[in-house]
Amino acid sequence: MSTILEVKKLGKRFGGLAAISELDLSVVDSEILGLIGPNGAGKTTFFDVISGFLPPSSGRVIFDGRDVTGSKAHQIAQLGIGRIFQASTLFMKISVLDNVLTGHHMSYKTRIWKRLLRTPSAFQEEELLRQRAMEILEFMGLASLKDELAANLPHGHQRILGVCMALATNPKLLLLDEPVTGMNVSEIQTMIELIRQIRDRGVTIVLVEHDMKAVMNLCDRIAVLNYGRKIAEGLPDEIRGNKEVVEAYLGKGK
Amino acid sequence: MGLVYVLLASGMNLIIAISGILFLAYGQFYMLGAYILWGLMVLLKVPYFIALCVATIVPAILGGVIYRLIFQRIQSMGRQFLNGIVAAIGLMLLLGQAALLAFGTSSRGVGSVFIGMLEVGGVRITFEKVVLIMLAVVVILGLHFILQKTQVGRAMRAVSFNPDVAALQGVNSNRTYLGAMVVGCGVAGFAGGAMAPVFAISPSMGGTITLLILLVVMLGGIGSMPGAILAGLVLGLTLSFGQYFIGTGLVQILLFAVIGCIVFFRPGGLLGQPTEELPV
Amino acid sequence: MGNLRKNYLSNRVNRRSGKVVGLGILALILILMPVLVPNTYYIHLLIMVGINSVLAMTFILLLRMGLITVATAAFWGIGAYTSTLLVVRLDLSFWLALPASTIITGIIAFITGFPLVRKGGISFVIETLAFAFIIALVFGTFDVFGGYTGIYNIPTPEPIRLPFLAPIEFISKTPYYYLMLFLVSLVAVVLSAFYAAWTGRAWRAIGLSPRLAESLGVNLFRYRLLAFVVTAAAAGLMGSFFAHYYGSIVPGTFGPFKSLYAQVYAILGGVGFAILGPIIGSLIMTIVPEVLRIAKEFEPVFTGLLVILLVMFLPDGLLGLSRRRPQPPAKSMARMASWIRGFLTDHSRSDQQ
Repeated sequence: MSTILEVKKLGKRFGGLAAISELDLSVVDSEILGLIGPNGAGKTTFFDVISGFLPPSSGRVIFDGRDVTGSKAHQIAQLGIGRIFQASTLFMKISVLDNVLTGHHMSYKTRIWKRLLRTPSAFQEEELLRQRAMEILEFMGLASLKDELAANLPHGHQRILGVCMALATNPKLLLLDEPVTGMNVSEIQTMIELIRQIRDRGVTIVLVEHDMKAVMNLCDRIAVLNYGRKIAEGLPDEIRGNKEVVEAYLGKGK
Repeated sequence: MGLVYVLLASGMNLIIAISGILFLAYGQFYMLGAYILWGLMVLLKVPYFIALCVATIVPAILGGVIYRLIFQRIQSMGRQFLNGIVAAIGLMLLLGQAALLAFGTSSRGVGSVFIGMLEVGGVRITFEKVVLIMLAVVVILGLHFILQKTQVGRAMRAVSFNPDVAALQGVNSNRTYLGAMVVGCGVAGFAGGAMAPVFAISPSMGGTITLLILLVVMLGGIGSMPGAILAGLVLGLTLSFGQYFIGTGLVQILLFAVIGCIVFFRPGGLLGQPTEELPV
Repeated sequence: MGNLRKNYLSNRVNRRSGKVVGLGILALILILMPVLVPNTYYIHLLIMVGINSVLAMTFILLLRMGLITVATAAFWGIGAYTSTLLVVRLDLSFWLALPASTIITGIIAFITGFPLVRKGGISFVIETLAFAFIIALVFGTFDVFGGYTGIYNIPTPEPIRLPFLAPIEFISKTPYYYLMLFLVSLVAVVLSAFYAAWTGRAWRAIGLSPRLAESLGVNLFRYRLLAFVVTAAAAGLMGSFFAHYYGSIVPGTFGPFKSLYAQVYAILGGVGFAILGPIIGSLIMTIVPEVLRIAKEFEPVFTGLLVILLVMFLPDGLLGLSRRRPQPPAKSMARMASWIRGFLTDHSRSDQQ
């Protein structure tokens, strides 16, 4: 089993505060890895560093064999890492279809002057991408809402839309930051199923989530962070019984 | 003159940081204050301090009225930021032209109020300017006091950070904006009145100084009072001394270039906090 | 593949036929304008409207991406001065100077854009403001630019010699008018092409949510720089035209104030409309002062008043009206009432969020 993402001694400091330190983590190809930990443990910071929004203070990030430490967000996206954000970050003022279509930004290959002159090949490509966008929407169950403004969607659908857009980038690795937070039980079920199907299509997934049931259900392996350090890693059952993990959660308050 | 910049920058800062309106008509209130002082003192022979008070209060009230009349409405509808700018520009035109009509195009002087010079460490300053400096310092301290210690001031600071949270705490945002506007315009009027005896006044001084002040505010960091003070002083001093040594045009260019560089390296201004995207 | 193409084309044709007819009529009117309205003063106004529209379009393009410029007029000035110097000092033909100064302006924008565009948001505004000041001062200070009195007696464009027709001399205002039409249309077409193409989509994405756009692979810097350069070039183009049309240029015209006016034109017209909005906006702002000239010295007072009123009652600009459904009179009255009430009390409209 090959490793698609490897993080070595990763550290990120903000001023005097270390959000992450000495983090070693490997993500195996086509697995679903869960990342859990109490609030403030550094999970989202970890995502930010991996996806290029923050440069690490120390350590290395190796994706698909390439050292991508310090690369910028759009470069990382081009290399095949997609992500969704904790808060619903969408293009609110445009339609669902337009959102996903914009997600296909990187697939657009026609040279710029051809685009400007509106040549037939530009048309064709646009139509092709439009179809691909619809395919994604259908796969995720949002096809009927394609013309609705993103801002008008209920919360659950907005999260799904976020995943659609990340999928549009054709990622090899997908970082999901709290995909089911704020959803009701049936929405969570749907999302879990969708995530499984995404994995079955060959995408590796790293998941940050607070909903323990979902995490235990879905993930092949789980890593636990606390105060920016990894305190446990292993199969869900192992983690469930791990004393340190339980203490970490309890120790942080009620 | 540096202190004039400081005063104006503080006032402008107040308005922008709290209400989020890029109030480009600010300079006109400054000009108004100056002319009120002139009018009162020269035409009506009103004593200095009374004239100064009037010069402060009238623009303040005017600012309040204008806020209620115009900006309150704009705040409640879409695209406040952009529309506010346009309204401010319209206002600037309006007031500027009105002043031009009322006062004629030539510049005037008010004439010294206090006679006599003071010698400080080998440099001779007119008594005038000393008074100006003292008054300015008083006002700045006063502003600081208001913002830090009083209820109103706390409300203002709360609103500038997060209007929604402030609303939860029972702060009426409209009233706060109104307050900011009133105080800000009052400061402008004061600045105008205070500097009138010392420097020449003309109807166009409002327009030209506004953009400069905007730059100062941004340099010092929006929402940061000490920043505005620092930036105002820096600007004033550099301009005055620079003019002496290098010559007007060049010094201005250099200054702005330097400002550009400073902002480049410190996006929040000298002392302000870095902000994200603009509310477009 | 053929199906895809047919699909897409038929969609576009349907949407376009209505627009095409409308545009066609408009174009006809514009082309015949000098015949319909032989008054040279009005022609002059229209020419200025054309120039101002382009400046406003520039502003909107950058606004769409979340960038507010105050440097519009600065690039306009760069184009004007560059073209003037090329023709006056280097004896270049206007017809060469025009594209040349456009390109040079673009290059200058490219160079200055590098540091400016790196950080978006507020620092961009400050820097463009500083830039605007600097440029205006540079034009005024150095003698090569003619100092504060500017340069005058700028040569008119050389006559165009077409086969079979008499050479078109640039003496009356009319040829300038057609040239302006051509240039403005050129800019409008190019900008529309950008907007319709993927570039426009990327720009919009950056404007709506830069973070998200980045995560989708959009290189923020590259697209911002592109927009900056394109808008500067457009402004420079009109600058060159302006210099040779007006005959003289002074540094004062190209300062930050003019950029602010460009913003007003754009916002009044409606920021939702990238091409039409600026045109309408500058139309109003140019025509109204003329109409109000009867009030003589009071004119700017009324213009300012009008601007304020427009912005108070039309938050989406003039063209925004087309997007709102007409309100029943009762509702408009209610809004007026709440405005008056708001004046007297602390509270404005109840639906303020």
